[in-house]
Amino acid sequence: MANKESNSYIFMYSTILVVVAAAVLAVAAVGLKPFQKKNQEIEKMQQLLTSAGIENDVKNAEELYKNCFVKELAVNKKGEVVSVYENGQQTEGEVRPFNIELSKELAKGEQAQFPIFVCKQEGKTIYVVPVHGKGLYDAIWGNIAIEEDLNTVAGALFDHKGETPGLGAEITNPNFPAQFKGKQIFENDEVKLAVVKGKKTAENFQVDAVTGATNTSNGVSNMLKDCLSNYVEYFKTLKTE
Amino acid sequence: MANMLKLIKNPLSKENPIAVQVLGICSALAVTTQLKPAVVMSLSVMVVVALSNVIVSLLRNTIPSRIRIIVQLVIVSMMVILVDQFLKAFVYDVSKQLSVFVGLIITNCIVMGRLEAFALSHKPLPSFFDGIGNGLGYAVILIILGFVRELFGQGSLWGYKIMPESFFDAGYVNNGLMTMPAMALILVGVIIWIHRSRNEDLCEK
Amino acid sequence: MQEIINIFVKSIFIDNMVFAFFLGMCSYLAVSKTVKTSMGLGLAVVFVLLITVPINYLINEFILKEGALAWLSPSLASVDLSFLSFILFIAVIAAIVQLVEMFVEKVSPTLYSQLGIFLPLIAVNCAIMGASLFMQQRDYANIGEVLSFSLGSGIGWLLAIVGLAAIRERIRYAHVPAPLKGLGITFIITGLMAIAFMSFIGIKL
Repeated sequence: MANKESNSYIFMYSTILVVVAAAVLAVAAVGLKPFQKKNQEIEKMQQLLTSAGIENDVKNAEELYKNCFVKELAVNKKGEVVSVYENGQQTEGEVRPFNIELSKELAKGEQAQFPIFVCKQEGKTIYVVPVHGKGLYDAIWGNIAIEEDLNTVAGALFDHKGETPGLGAEITNPNFPAQFKGKQIFENDEVKLAVVKGKKTAENFQVDAVTGATNTSNGVSNMLKDCLSNYVEYFKTLKTE
Repeated sequence: MANMLKLIKNPLSKENPIAVQVLGICSALAVTTQLKPAVVMSLSVMVVVALSNVIVSLLRNTIPSRIRIIVQLVIVSMMVILVDQFLKAFVYDVSKQLSVFVGLIITNCIVMGRLEAFALSHKPLPSFFDGIGNGLGYAVILIILGFVRELFGQGSLWGYKIMPESFFDAGYVNNGLMTMPAMALILVGVIIWIHRSRNEDLCEK
Repeated sequence: MQEIINIFVKSIFIDNMVFAFFLGMCSYLAVSKTVKTSMGLGLAVVFVLLITVPINYLINEFILKEGALAWLSPSLASVDLSFLSFILFIAVIAAIVQLVEMFVEKVSPTLYSQLGIFLPLIAVNCAIMGASLFMQQRDYANIGEVLSFSLGSGIGWLLAIVGLAAIRERIRYAHVPAPLKGLGITFIITGLMAIAFMSFIGIKL
């Protein structure tokens, strides 16, 4: 064997080591990627199902999603439908609405596309729209499910990245989104649904803030306002149809 | 065989990596708010220590001593990335809870410590058992912490409610402090205290 | 600008490396016996964090992220190399620590004599690796935010270790029960400090 401490040996040794390591990792990463992607998709499906009030777990989420969410749409600010995904096929546009990342769309201004997930269950239609905003420190997001009248909240779900545990993070506690059920969203094409601290002035539109987390609560209000208002035009066209 | 058994048994108490050798605390405490991530984390560390011990031990006669640390680092990182990819693929919810702490196994001093102190000078089989033993020693502390913190902090174990409803009716409340980082540190302090009062020779002067 | 100050304050007090994430515990416990040495190590950590985290940010942004290679050629837009991040980050950290050590030795021998012995320790300090991983996970918007995050985290760590060292200098004169001496009491002190730091939760500028 060549001298173990010689420069050429060390150089060879490290080259081989790095190449082997990189090869092993690349194989593993490529091989496992589909599983990882699937997990992320299932998580998103679960969130959509939960916000529409459908009970689910990791195992049946995919099946349930397929059965309940019959249609996925993406609309722009003017209310025009830009892409449709139906019965497992993309029928209009290029990007499947399921794969749209709302946080990126919000930064796009006029070009932005907003996804809507249409859920048919027990003869009722529920529209689920994602929302995304900023809490006290970091991103907050969620889904709002809307009844057929396009105004009443059927269910909600929130999540966050870095709010304070016990305070702002309480938006994920099921009690908080449960308050939204049955509230009205729009009045005169304006989003009036909001989270308020203290006495409510319009019972139909308002939800109690999370105790001790004023900034997170305001963040939720702003998020609802910013995101839901993008759907006003589209809902108008739906109503006149 | 008796030797192998000793390799596994010693790190459990007398040479416990956390309580006695003070290694690998960095990533240990943050993942113990619940039992499940604590167990998954322990398993991951065990796998990484055992397998990198074996690999380094197999290569021990070929590794040039000048770049030995870097070689070990590459091997450990490789194992950790593999573990991370597997967790993401098969136990997604836990891997989300563990977040960056899987990556931090790389800088977990237990791993590098065992490679330097044991694997470089021993045959693959003893190295493997040494890795398993140290992984178990790490696991013991993590599981105790995870158990106590989840039981008293959230009234559940492995995600299932354990505390009976009647307790809550009688005025029992979950101790929110248990889920906070501060309590993990104090609990480790208490574990060390108990451990050392039973093994007097471990006390510091 | 407000965002940057916010991140700075948050990473010092609320997301403190030691009290909230237990990062860098090994050297935190080992080198906190006197204020002077802990100050040296703390400064070295601030220094290294301030260099490595932004470099890793650029690596992540232009090489590792999904679609990050698009600047080379559009055909590479779908390449996702993020599985290599652990190994690259640790390599950058090890290399930078080595370079910094050589550079400081050449340029300022006085600084080297103060920081020198601590620098090699830092490569295995999980606070450094952890900061890079957090930076990747939190997806900071621009280099300004990353700089403020790395400076804040470093100062937070410095604050923690110097504070602990000051307490430990005093506690030497107290009658601590023998099994609790040294490691045990240090953990409990750290826990109490973490509780004190919890009072910063929720502040925002």
